[in-house]
Amino acid sequence: MDTLKSNAMETFKQVVSTLHNPEVQEWKQQGGKVIGYFYSYIPEELITAAGLLPYKIRGVGSPGAAKADKYFTHNVCTLVRDTFELILDGKFDFLDGVIVFNACDHIRRIYDNWKSLENNHYLNFLVLPKKYGKEQLERYFEELSSLKEEIEKLFNVEITGEKLKEAIKLHNEKRQLQRKLYDLRKRENPPLTGAETLTVMIAGEVMPVAKYNALLKEFLEELEVKEGQKPAVRLMLLGGEIDKPELLEIIESQGGLVVTDYMAYGTRAIAYDVPEDGDPLKALAKYYFEDRPPCPRLHGTYQKRFDYIKKVAKDYHVDGIISIRLLLCDIWGFEQNDVSGMLKAEKLPYLKLETEYALTNAGQLQTRVQAFIETLKEVCA
Amino acid sequence: MTNTKTGVERIYEYRDRLKGIIEAMKQAPEEQRNPFLEGVFTLVLEANEKTIDCAENKKPFISSWYGNSPEIYTSMDIHFINPVFDLLFHEYLTDLYDVKEADKMSLPDDICSLIRFGAYAVENRLLPRPTAIVSMLEPCDGELMLHQYFQSSDHWGGVPIFALDPPYGATEEDFKYFAGELKRMIAFLEEISGHQFDVEKLRKIVEEMNLQYELWGEYNELRRVTPCPHGSFSGSVPFWALTQHLPSGDPRATELIRMMVKDAEAKVEAGIGAVPNEQIRILWADLAPQWADLIGPWLEQEWGANVVMDYQGYTPYSQIDTSTEKTMLFGLARRSLHEVPMIRQGRGTVEVIIEDMTRIIKDYNINCVIWPGHMGHKDVAGSINFMQEVCRSLNVPLLSLTTSLFDERYTPLNRVKQQISEFFEAKGWKRVNR
Repeated sequence: MDTLKSNAMETFKQVVSTLHNPEVQEWKQQGGKVIGYFYSYIPEELITAAGLLPYKIRGVGSPGAAKADKYFTHNVCTLVRDTFELILDGKFDFLDGVIVFNACDHIRRIYDNWKSLENNHYLNFLVLPKKYGKEQLERYFEELSSLKEEIEKLFNVEITGEKLKEAIKLHNEKRQLQRKLYDLRKRENPPLTGAETLTVMIAGEVMPVAKYNALLKEFLEELEVKEGQKPAVRLMLLGGEIDKPELLEIIESQGGLVVTDYMAYGTRAIAYDVPEDGDPLKALAKYYFEDRPPCPRLHGTYQKRFDYIKKVAKDYHVDGIISIRLLLCDIWGFEQNDVSGMLKAEKLPYLKLETEYALTNAGQLQTRVQAFIETLKEVCA
Repeated sequence: MTNTKTGVERIYEYRDRLKGIIEAMKQAPEEQRNPFLEGVFTLVLEANEKTIDCAENKKPFISSWYGNSPEIYTSMDIHFINPVFDLLFHEYLTDLYDVKEADKMSLPDDICSLIRFGAYAVENRLLPRPTAIVSMLEPCDGELMLHQYFQSSDHWGGVPIFALDPPYGATEEDFKYFAGELKRMIAFLEEISGHQFDVEKLRKIVEEMNLQYELWGEYNELRRVTPCPHGSFSGSVPFWALTQHLPSGDPRATELIRMMVKDAEAKVEAGIGAVPNEQIRILWADLAPQWADLIGPWLEQEWGANVVMDYQGYTPYSQIDTSTEKTMLFGLARRSLHEVPMIRQGRGTVEVIIEDMTRIIKDYNINCVIWPGHMGHKDVAGSINFMQEVCRSLNVPLLSLTTSLFDERYTPLNRVKQQISEFFEAKGWKRVNR
């Protein structure tokens, strides 16, 4: 990265390393409002169309969970506990509203607890059906319609069809640029690391999209002509809301390069575009609920998930696959286990890892990845 | 090597063990016989025999889970199994054999023990391959993922599946939506079994179930009396099995529940409490643990304490209007989503836990709440502050533990007893046996 002239990467790193980042500060200084959300089934386009800034909440910079312990016992994952500590510390006070959905048993209680605090934000809870189906898509569409109405009422704006279409176009442009970024990683000598890619991807969720798109375009132009080094082994990472580039740095420090993934901040978010014709709210509902590569939390999608993982692994010429799970996560506990049979049948070497949000077991992770990469090197040789 | 086990072998094992136990029970002197337990065991035995019959004679049967409106299956003459019911039933008859064997699974050990047992049972072919699966996707992530695991497993992969999608709220609209899911489930069951749904048959079953739940309600009323006529967990464990895990609407099950009611009634009239000098009336704020028979007697003998109510027993089941198919499906939807234990407390927002805890403490003269902190109940682990607030406002002490309700080894029982004793001592209660 040192050879690049653009300061795009510096900006991306900066916005990712803090919560109330300079881009958000600037937006607020100009009178803009910010809506925080957990996680990938909240359409950002709806927030953008209301003239608000969509901001994906993370637990970055949390000092631990000393105060959050009163609300969440040690049986709750550290992503949630660490994030709630930041909430209690007032680190999200810059938000003008928050949208939560029933993503998992841990996240959904953030809503109840946050709501119980004094001087809390406007909080909305969106219900995502738990299975894939026609009636469930209709339910999700109704949920989005209610959310739209609530945002309109609360922020005194009208989200017209035209505004929604514009927002869809803007976010599609973001996805297209991000896909170009991913395409560069298919090269024999990818010009950027997995950790850098994740940084770019996270930045797209915590800063104004138009500015992000402009920066990413600039960054891509430089990357197009940049040649990286041929990695010893090409890795694919499977996981949920993994939002720590440091984790990928740990993995890549052992000689492998993460060239692709099946993650919320990765291919799952950018695989396709939202159709720009027809009813825009219906298009959003269908895209988020049905078209995108799904989260394992949606019953009835396991074959679709497995097929997508196989396809991506093939497209990116992957040598080995690593899955990462935050301790206490039941969803990824099963998913890690269930994909192993499929990967074995595909003859794809596979390593399962577990960690805490603060990466407290970094040394152990390094050791395990090192051993895995050594094995892969032998196989590749 | 191909695994030739069909799963029915294990059901034979269950059946034979139960036969022996029932036989031994019947041979006991008249005054030592326990007709209630004999009755429950007989119904479980019959369910095992039915499973064997279905599996061996290609008769349709399904795998399901409590809370999926079993009334419908029975009305359609479709036998059902729960992947963990028999395994748990035999847990203490086999010195925790399966519990220990399940340790060998590759699933992480921070996943709910119960859910792990479900995966273990299928992975190890301890259940026959059913005609179809009706999935439950609530109240926790583990449940949802377990049913996807079934689809990707060697033994049960490819079995037709219908998943019931639970709404998050408890409004009339939510119940109507779930009633629609039940209607779609009926269509699925008709297709896979060839059995036709008959509204009259459902009405008969639901009417009998209404009676069972009414009796359960009466029984709970009797447990409000001080001293409590029966011991810790004594109604909740068998009643749940009778109403949710075994074929629905069996008049013999109704009689068994009535038997418990009459016994409790007689004790109340005579002023007899299950615990002499009852000093601590506990709300156990979760399901009854598998180790209920180990912790309950100890609480009673050591501390004069009785678990007067728990969330498995506290089931405010309401009567279902049987006038039309629509009213019945609506009632079953409400029951499935909002009345069945664990689903009631775990599925949606935290309000239900607050409401139940408040009402039980007030209605049952509770002077101590124990929250076992089951390791699988991650949602409740995020509700601890609300529970503390309720207890503080009602001036009742709360003990928060960490255990597995289904595996006593998770926090060794002696450690649990020690924590409870320290808590009681700190609150000023004296041991009764010293």
